[in-house]
Amino acid sequence: MILDINNLSKTYANGVQALKNVNLSIPQGMFGLLGPNGAGKSTLMRTIATLQEPDEGTIRLGDIDVLTQKDRVREILGYLPQEFGVYPRIGAETLLNHLAVLKGITDNRERKEVVHALLHKTNLYDHRKKNLGGYSGGMKQRFGIAQALLANPQLIIVDEPTAGLDPAERNRFLNLLSDLGENTVVILSTHIVEDVKELCTNMAVINEGEVLLSGTPTDALKNIKGKIWRRQVTKDELTQYESTLNVISKKRSAGKPFIHVMSDSKPDSGFTAVTPDLEDVYFSELFGKKEKVA
Amino acid sequence: MLEILKFEIKYRLKRPETYIYFAILFLMSFSAITTDVIQVGGGAGQVKENAPTTISFFQIILSVIPGLILASSIMGQPILRDFNNNTASMMFTAPITKTQYLGGRFLGSLLVNVLIFTGIFFGMALGYLMPWIDQENLLPYNLGHMVKPFLVYVLPNIFIMSCLFFASGTLSRKILVVYIQGIFLFIFYAITSELMESWDNQNLGALLDPFGINTNGHVTRYWTVAEQNSQTVGLTGLVLWNRLLWVGIALVALLFTFWKFNFNLISGKGKKVKKAEVTRGSSDVIAAAVEIPKVTQYSGFGTSLEQITNLAGFYFKWLTNQYTFLALVIGGILFTAAGFFFGLGGMYDVDVYPSTYRVLGLLSDFNIFFFIITVLYSGELIWKERDVKINLIYDAMPYTNYVSLIGKFLALILVFVVMLFALGLVGITAQTMMGFTNYELPVYFKSLFIDDLSNWVLFAFLGFFMHTMVNHKFIGHSMMVVFFVGTLVLSQLGWEHNMLNFASGSLGRYSDMNGFGHYFQPFNWFSSYWLGFALVLFTMVLFFTVRGAETALKTRFKLGRLRWNKGMAILALMSLFLFGGAGAYIYYNTNILNEYQNSDDTNADQAEYEKSLKKYEGEPLLKIVGTYVEVDVFPENRDFVAKGNYILKNKSDQPIDKLYLQLRSEKEIQSKVEFNVPVEVEEQWDKFKFTIYNLVSPIAPGDSIKMDFVTNYSTVGFVESGSNTEVLHNGTFFNNTYFPTFGYQSRLELGGDDDRKDNDLPEKERMRPRDDPQAITENLLGGTSDRIDFEIIMSTSPEQIAIAPGYLQREWEEDGRRYFHYKMDVPILNFYSMVSAEYEIISDKWSDGNQDVNLEIYYHKGHDYNVDNMLKSMKKSLDYFTTNFSPYQYRQLRIMEFPRYRSFAQSFSNTVPFSEDIGFMLDVGKEDVDIPFYVTAHEIAHQWWAHQVTEADVQGNAMSSETMSQYSALMVMKQEFKPEIIQKFLELELDRYLRGRATESKKEQPLDHVEGQGYIHYRKGSLIMYALQDYISEDSVNVALRRIIDKWAYKEDRYITSDVYLEEFRKVTPDSLQYIVSDLFEKITLFENRTKEATYEERDGKYIVNIDASSIKYQADSLGNETKIPVNDWIDIGIYTQDEDGEDKLIYLQKHKINQEEMTFQVVVNEKPTKAGIDPINILIDRNPDDNRKRVVLAEADSD
Repeated sequence: MILDINNLSKTYANGVQALKNVNLSIPQGMFGLLGPNGAGKSTLMRTIATLQEPDEGTIRLGDIDVLTQKDRVREILGYLPQEFGVYPRIGAETLLNHLAVLKGITDNRERKEVVHALLHKTNLYDHRKKNLGGYSGGMKQRFGIAQALLANPQLIIVDEPTAGLDPAERNRFLNLLSDLGENTVVILSTHIVEDVKELCTNMAVINEGEVLLSGTPTDALKNIKGKIWRRQVTKDELTQYESTLNVISKKRSAGKPFIHVMSDSKPDSGFTAVTPDLEDVYFSELFGKKEKVA
Repeated sequence: MLEILKFEIKYRLKRPETYIYFAILFLMSFSAITTDVIQVGGGAGQVKENAPTTISFFQIILSVIPGLILASSIMGQPILRDFNNNTASMMFTAPITKTQYLGGRFLGSLLVNVLIFTGIFFGMALGYLMPWIDQENLLPYNLGHMVKPFLVYVLPNIFIMSCLFFASGTLSRKILVVYIQGIFLFIFYAITSELMESWDNQNLGALLDPFGINTNGHVTRYWTVAEQNSQTVGLTGLVLWNRLLWVGIALVALLFTFWKFNFNLISGKGKKVKKAEVTRGSSDVIAAAVEIPKVTQYSGFGTSLEQITNLAGFYFKWLTNQYTFLALVIGGILFTAAGFFFGLGGMYDVDVYPSTYRVLGLLSDFNIFFFIITVLYSGELIWKERDVKINLIYDAMPYTNYVSLIGKFLALILVFVVMLFALGLVGITAQTMMGFTNYELPVYFKSLFIDDLSNWVLFAFLGFFMHTMVNHKFIGHSMMVVFFVGTLVLSQLGWEHNMLNFASGSLGRYSDMNGFGHYFQPFNWFSSYWLGFALVLFTMVLFFTVRGAETALKTRFKLGRLRWNKGMAILALMSLFLFGGAGAYIYYNTNILNEYQNSDDTNADQAEYEKSLKKYEGEPLLKIVGTYVEVDVFPENRDFVAKGNYILKNKSDQPIDKLYLQLRSEKEIQSKVEFNVPVEVEEQWDKFKFTIYNLVSPIAPGDSIKMDFVTNYSTVGFVESGSNTEVLHNGTFFNNTYFPTFGYQSRLELGGDDDRKDNDLPEKERMRPRDDPQAITENLLGGTSDRIDFEIIMSTSPEQIAIAPGYLQREWEEDGRRYFHYKMDVPILNFYSMVSAEYEIISDKWSDGNQDVNLEIYYHKGHDYNVDNMLKSMKKSLDYFTTNFSPYQYRQLRIMEFPRYRSFAQSFSNTVPFSEDIGFMLDVGKEDVDIPFYVTAHEIAHQWWAHQVTEADVQGNAMSSETMSQYSALMVMKQEFKPEIIQKFLELELDRYLRGRATESKKEQPLDHVEGQGYIHYRKGSLIMYALQDYISEDSVNVALRRIIDKWAYKEDRYITSDVYLEEFRKVTPDSLQYIVSDLFEKITLFENRTKEATYEERDGKYIVNIDASSIKYQADSLGNETKIPVNDWIDIGIYTQDEDGEDKLIYLQKHKINQEEMTFQVVVNEKPTKAGIDPINILIDRNPDDNRKRVVLAEADSD
């Protein structure tokens, strides 16, 4: 089963164009959708999750037309929105059980089993009676994934699940995701490159509603291999390099400022070649195109 | 602090709601004044539209409704905002103190609130200047009249509400708590209103009212039209105390808030949150190993049903776990239950037995909570997932749309059912506690679970619809309110039909006698009709419901079309079919089988009747002198057929050649007539069923003819509203106004001045003048007849008894029907009742040696609480009246109960129909005025005052019939009950008189010119006649009345007028007291008697009492303009002591000549005085009767 997105566009009432002619083909396995805040990731995710209408374009999941056969999509969908709340005065088990009913798991025994399994899986079992209002951010997020995994979904959409989690929680969460079966389409949106690096077999970079890149991380890395250069800079040098070179990122290492530059050849002797990582792919897609314009 | 204040004001001035709220108040105020669409209330008739009392009433009401809502929304916000926008942490870490922060926010919001509320003032100030307002209804423009109530009431109200809402909003940090507090404040107001209804608690109610509505009402309750047009309420007395009390409470709340408020962000319970994470990491390994089992996912209808059940349970639990919700329900139930402490609404402070329908009436106090809960929680339910932000998770679940909506709906209905059960329990508990065990569970069930539940289910549908369509919570709530106002406005504009009045099905008034009567059929149809409508709405809810992130109506429409399926189409079609089908059937019943007219059209018809036929008023008529009629009543169908004849005689001295026949024009009453002499139709008005016949040979004086008639009353289908409550399944009671009559009927004319003006008719006097030569030859029943010979045969269904005036000649059964033949042996007035019901009978005999009278009471089974008492009253009355007035003209006297759709008793010849509402079910306590006794005595007195001495149809007529019956009843009561009871009765009569004159719509008449004004001929009548007999003695009054009977009983050529009474009263009044006859009957006289000080000293075992009193005498004109006149009257001075039981006992009561405003009196008594005063037993009409008596204190030793 492959998720095919064709020519998807969406403009909001306030004039913001959230999606511009998006074309993606998402195979089974973990798919990372990378982009900065406001890139249109959530709009795309919501649209796939049957919760938003595009102005144009189609989405197909196998033989399902996602935009018109919403019921069929929902039956096989697990969705974790970017932001969500919970009933503060209800326990996790109660709410999960309730959501399981809505999923159509109406066999009591089966439902109880799956709810318990998911609570164990997400490490919430010990807290299952506690009011959700008392959960930490990470626990809440784990609850979110628990509900998304109800009823063995074949399409799982998780929107920015790691935002705001501390490293330990994030690890735990990513472990959970990586466990998901291989016959499933899992779409993970994030603005954190590490997430994709660690988990995804396929990825796309999206910014300002446009898909800038899509493919496997390996291919993406191949494309920029030998084009990324690094050097330590001073403040004055920085401005100078920014105006002359294609600086894709600035960062500090042990308190000293470094820049990464994308260039087919070594810009000057101060630069050393680096083996690009996914982050360089991401930044080169976001900021590396300037050269062509300039 | 100034900075924060400035910030707050600036912020508010940028917010649109500040201006919207101002606009709302401005527009409501403006349009209430300049149009008829919004009517807040205020004066009627002669009270001008900008009278100071109207203005202040108006301002207070607007400051509460909608002021309460607006203020809660403004004042709940300022602190809450910082929490909601998460700016709290920024604010609280800034270098400001708590006082600066709270003070600034509070003062800023308060000022903005004041600004918003000036909308009331400006709307009004501008409104009265609008040129299209009829200047006739206005006083000269007076800004002061508008400023003063704003200062006295509105400003303090803003302050009070602001403090309380600020406190609850700040301390709870939940806007819902603020709203609930507002609701409770309103409940508290409602409780004070209940206090106002009980005589003893009025001052308390006025003092405690948080808004001053009752306070204002109380201090102005006796204001006459003239006073209402000129006086304003100042900050004195009760008003001052009331304002101080509440401003004080508000200040305390504010200080408490300042003291209690804590800059800590996480309040109390939040602390535990952090501990939740202790067990991290321990079981990661296990977690990884867990296999998630495969499950079966079901779909389809069965699954949907299971999901609905689950959701309904889930939401029900959620609703009932909300403490705001619980507060509303429990508060409402407590409020409703509290009503039982204030009584179930009897008469003259007498309680009624807590029969189920009475209890249900009280339980309906809960309706306001039902309404609030429906409005609030239909919105909360629709918004629930979005409020907790779990909506995207829900919306992506594979349930069908209707599952969640129906689940929510059922949860709400379940809540309704639980509340109704609770109400039923409250009712049954209350009945039990009052020692009443005849619980009528079917009545509870039908009233609560059929009538009420269906109503609220419809409103729940409406709530779901509104909230779905407007998709904005606050606007959704507002739209519900707009919807109601809208319906009211439409009905003002003539759209009155119940088919346009949402959820208009109602089971109507319950009567023990008639049960729910014939109301079930229309109820079922109207309920089906509105259910159809509601289901159409629900289809739209299903279609347009928000699922996902799209909220624009256009997108929702697109999504709706995707969702549209056979099921929805079937639902839409079925609900449209139900709506249309039931609608068509209702229309067929109300507008085709029966007649429907809105009130404007009815008025227009009445006006047309007057315009086209008034010219025939006063034409000479043949008079009915004999009536024979056979009336077959069919209770099961609510029909009757009357066949009979009139003997019509020319009693004038001229030949008569025309007949003016008037039949009833209603569709359900069909009459036919036939004369035994040749007649030709000269002119006929079909619409009014008015026909002028020419008699081919004129009827000579003294000759008579016979007219046969058939009148058919048939109930077909059901009517739109106001169904006939006279011809019933059980408890039929109607009179001969259904039958043909003669002459122009002035009683059909349009009465109200405004209505007449709208229909281009001149203002009309309510009655003809006392010396109108034509009118004094006609009795109050019109010019058609003087007295008639009367014979009637009634038949009814076998289980019922049919009763009409006359002596039973024979009773038999034939063809499964029961017949009763009654005949009178003396002529009676042309006014007879026909009654049919299932009855229990109690009978007795009264005799004074000369005359035997059979007494009978026909009453509904179980209504026997007061029948013995009523029998006693019958006997005592006959005793007194035959001894003091004249013999009783009949040999029997019967009382028969009729259903409580109408609440009066009415005296026909030897026959008194008596409503189940006014005497049968009263629980008369030891210290109560015995109302069943009193009403019975009053009605029996009418056998003299009306049936013996019959009044002319002119001004002052009711002084003869009603006032004399009041006097007669009062004298019987005086013999039977202790003086305190009589005094209590008179106090209540005084109160009702003084209130009555405050609401006079045209002009207050002196008693001898009374024009059908009940507050004068009953209430003032009692007081005046009691005073008269107190001044000139009961015997003298009775001598005068006996003389009147001697001269006027059964007179036919001229009927009695009030001047005859005055003449006879003057004859029995000593010279020194002649002035009182005029003061009492011909003028409107009031006193302001007051005891300033009363002291005593003891000397030689005797007590010398000094009383310092003042007396001011006023004469009022018809509008209540009072002129002080010199006092020169005989007024009681009285002194009380306390007997062994601690009760007041009069030891001295003597009339003294009072000829100065201020006087001192010295009286020596033998017992220790406790109280003393001027007019201590309130013989005279006095607006402050409470200050007449004062405690007597020991005189200071050094006094000279």
